[in-house]
Amino acid sequence: MSELRQIAFYGKGGIGKSTTSQNTLAAMVHYYGQKILIVGCDPKADSTRLILHEKAQNTIMQLASEAGTVEDLELEDVCKPGAAEFHPDNNEITEGYIMCTESGGPEPGVGCAGRGVITAINFLEEEGAYDDELDFVSYDVLGDVVCGGFAMPIREGKAQEIYIVMSGEMMAMYAANNISKGILKYANTGGVRLAGLVCNARMTDKEYDLAKQLAKSLGTQMIHFVPRSNHVQRAELRRMTVVEYSPNHDQAMEYKELARKIIANDLKVIPTPLEMDDLEDLLMEFGLEDDVEDAIVGKKEGEA
Amino acid sequence: MFICGYHFPASEGNDVAFDKVIAKVEEGVEATGKVVSLTGETTKGEVIVNLTVPEGTFAHTAFVDYFESADVAGESKMVYYTNKYQISEISKAVDGEVTKELCQNLDDMLLYRVSVA
Repeated sequence: MSELRQIAFYGKGGIGKSTTSQNTLAAMVHYYGQKILIVGCDPKADSTRLILHEKAQNTIMQLASEAGTVEDLELEDVCKPGAAEFHPDNNEITEGYIMCTESGGPEPGVGCAGRGVITAINFLEEEGAYDDELDFVSYDVLGDVVCGGFAMPIREGKAQEIYIVMSGEMMAMYAANNISKGILKYANTGGVRLAGLVCNARMTDKEYDLAKQLAKSLGTQMIHFVPRSNHVQRAELRRMTVVEYSPNHDQAMEYKELARKIIANDLKVIPTPLEMDDLEDLLMEFGLEDDVEDAIVGKKEGEA
Repeated sequence: MFICGYHFPASEGNDVAFDKVIAKVEEGVEATGKVVSLTGETTKGEVIVNLTVPEGTFAHTAFVDYFESADVAGESKMVYYTNKYQISEISKAVDGEVTKELCQNLDDMLLYRVSVA
């Protein structure tokens, strides 16, 4: 049995983190027989829907609220086996499997969403969800670590290797840099490391160059460039990953290759985040505009 | 880290020299005399570019190597976007003018498929 690896997918909201993580984890199971526990750390609770073929899994916080307290829950109440080929008892395609759980959070505008993450992880550990058979625990975490609660998997040393899902857009890169700052903050106390950037491409010009250069500046690698494909949406409409829906499709092959790299990856670094000016310089150097002078800032098209 | 599909150990850092990548790619592949053809297609599968990779270049060897080693089904194998960009990046540095036009194509957003005869 290999040692349990605790990984996390971080990234800006709306970047395609949950889609990327579920498709990649599905590929790790489908093609490489890995045994995985997903811990969704997003109040949207959409980190497991493609694995479970469900709209949204009941979250630990939701179930605890119904039961009274989290102590009233059993592991079986909150941890569900994946559907079809991802079920532990289904060995037709793979001996690997995925177990799914979602931390959940409070209603919008009420309380701290990060608190659900803390409660959920503590509960899962106490109830023995991190069993010896697992190869990976994967956390799917919202946002850019502005909230300390969402930094919990990093802060408490739960997630050891972080994959940041990003694209060549300014805010996605800003978030990637911010998350790197969070990792840096806890790298020495918790042992967390940055393991790579995953470019979930928007298919803009020079996007590869931009993502690669950001990775290089952060001291890490751009581990894989995932192209945009309508096939992902086709699969999502069926609440499935591309890997399960169409395992021989080109897009499934891309996730397969990313899965292979994550399993073999040993480049885990303490990141070197950029200053804001350096990040903007990077965008200027590799972005769509060759150069932007101060004189044209704030000017409409045709004015400058 | 991973370049052209090959794993370079963490001890080599995040900026592996092209020489090391080229050595790894050339190791165990015989590209001489082989014709490498690429097609570039849109997301709808419409082929809009047909290219032949000049023999004797890094790009030629790298695509032969990819064709022979990538775990992708089909007589014409789809090329991972990451790999096509990495091959282009190295080819621009070492093949110069010979592959300039090829690399300009590879840097676009089309999906490429490679076949070797």
